[in-house]
Amino acid sequence: MNRPLAVARIQLVAWPTAIGWPLGILAIAFAVNLLVFAAIAGEPADATTGGQASIYVVFFVTYLQSVSQVFPFLSGLSVTRRAYFAGTALLVLAQSVLFALLLLLLLGVEIASGGWGLGMDFFGIGYLRQENVVLQLAVYTVPFLAMGFLGMFLGVVFRRWGTNGMFALALLVLAVLGAVVALVTWRQAWPTVGRWFVDTPPLAMVAGWPLVLAVLLAALAYLGLRRTEP
Amino acid sequence: MTTRPSPRDLEPWSVVSVRGLSRHYPGVAALDGVDLELSANRIYGLLGRNGAGKTTLLQILLGQRFADAGEVRLFGRRPYEDDATLQRVCLVRESQTYPDHFAVRHVLKAASMLYPFWDGDLADQLLKDFDLPPRRSMKKLSRGMLSAVGVVVGLASRAELTLFDEPYLGLDAYARQLFYDRLLADFTERPRTVVLSTHLIDEVATLIEHVVLLHQGRVLIDSDTESLLDSAALVTGPEDVVERFAADRRVLHRDDLGRVRRATVTGRMGRPGRAEAVALGLAVEPVPLQQLVVRSTGAAGAAPPRAASTDTPVELGASTGQQP
Repeated sequence: MNRPLAVARIQLVAWPTAIGWPLGILAIAFAVNLLVFAAIAGEPADATTGGQASIYVVFFVTYLQSVSQVFPFLSGLSVTRRAYFAGTALLVLAQSVLFALLLLLLLGVEIASGGWGLGMDFFGIGYLRQENVVLQLAVYTVPFLAMGFLGMFLGVVFRRWGTNGMFALALLVLAVLGAVVALVTWRQAWPTVGRWFVDTPPLAMVAGWPLVLAVLLAALAYLGLRRTEP
Repeated sequence: MTTRPSPRDLEPWSVVSVRGLSRHYPGVAALDGVDLELSANRIYGLLGRNGAGKTTLLQILLGQRFADAGEVRLFGRRPYEDDATLQRVCLVRESQTYPDHFAVRHVLKAASMLYPFWDGDLADQLLKDFDLPPRRSMKKLSRGMLSAVGVVVGLASRAELTLFDEPYLGLDAYARQLFYDRLLADFTERPRTVVLSTHLIDEVATLIEHVVLLHQGRVLIDSDTESLLDSAALVTGPEDVVERFAADRRVLHRDDLGRVRRATVTGRMGRPGRAEAVALGLAVEPVPLQQLVVRSTGAAGAAPPRAASTDTPVELGASTGQQP
């Protein structure tokens, strides 16, 4: 069998973990929100909730664990780093689109049922709402990609450089952010930054830039993996 | 072994071909200029003490670890990131990682997708032989059961090159014998190249056709088992007579029982050597493989400083290995 395809399929062999957990946790978050909304029924119309984020977090953890557990396992079964990466990236892509389609479907139900009969916006929250179905799908898909590859990237950092690597990375991120804040403050450029956030179309904000981030993280994860000793 | 060929001279017909392989960890040379040729359809014993470099060598063969220097060829090709080559190789490691949520059957399913010659019937049979519950989570297996899963994967993979790195941890004597029996039966039916890295030398002495002994990252012995055993003998008799006989030979070890000395002697111990010893009135016995390996390792002692030792890398291997 084609090696990357086999890698992807093997991670679905124990599918309850790969598919069941994200969906299960989403279902629980949804149920909890539904109960809360039912309890405060009739008070504020069109309230929103961030419960949908749970599925993205689980997605992140899934691929973090893939690198820390499935990668060394498959290395032990004579799989190359390239085949592991290709197969897992394929899985991230497929699963992102699949989950996004599911969210889209549930959004349709939500709209048709007037917010599950309670005016609850669980799937169509605020600026994530798009009128165009294709754009809506993109808005759902891209954050999955970003979270999946972020998980893989951090998994690779940990596999290759251990705890020290994770701390060094955290330090680096903090230093860069701190430098940016200092620079913006020094140049008194906060209004410009604020304007950029306002001017950037929501679509670019929730789909465009995260896509750039996802591609960047995927590339870094692959480069790191090439010289990792599992 | 006297001249070291350049990487260009790697033998294309060897299953495994290793030249000048070195790998250093902080403060220690795990591998220090290892040369090795393994040919097809034989069973090799990779022996050596803990820390001798066995696991590092096997992992570098698979491209899992990286060498600081040297060349590796499997089936004439570089293994690093080469799926076509690596799927012909199966390495069973004592410390293999399994995903938390995998059960035994998931591991076998994965292996069946990755090894082109996978034999599902054999895997099922071996599961029964080793009493492995297919639905049990890998996390819940005992140490012995974990080892048994590795053994099942290694045997059922039917990979052209199968490497077992101390696969027996936690396996009881019965299960180990089962492993050896199954390995030999399967090997007879479908010959392949097998490398057994093990400490239980006596158990595999009759199984392995060729011995590679690593000591402190170097190849100490590289010889087929029969001529290795022929090259050495236990010589027993009065102290002075034993020493006279051993004067122009290499003595790996001496034991004294009162006036009686028993020496493990190597070098010129073929038929004429034995006859000579018998003529002197000495008792001559074969040395068990395990004892020979232990004595050779002991005689080699600590390695001389790296810088000063570059021109005598396999002195003992030459003297024991090439004795007819």
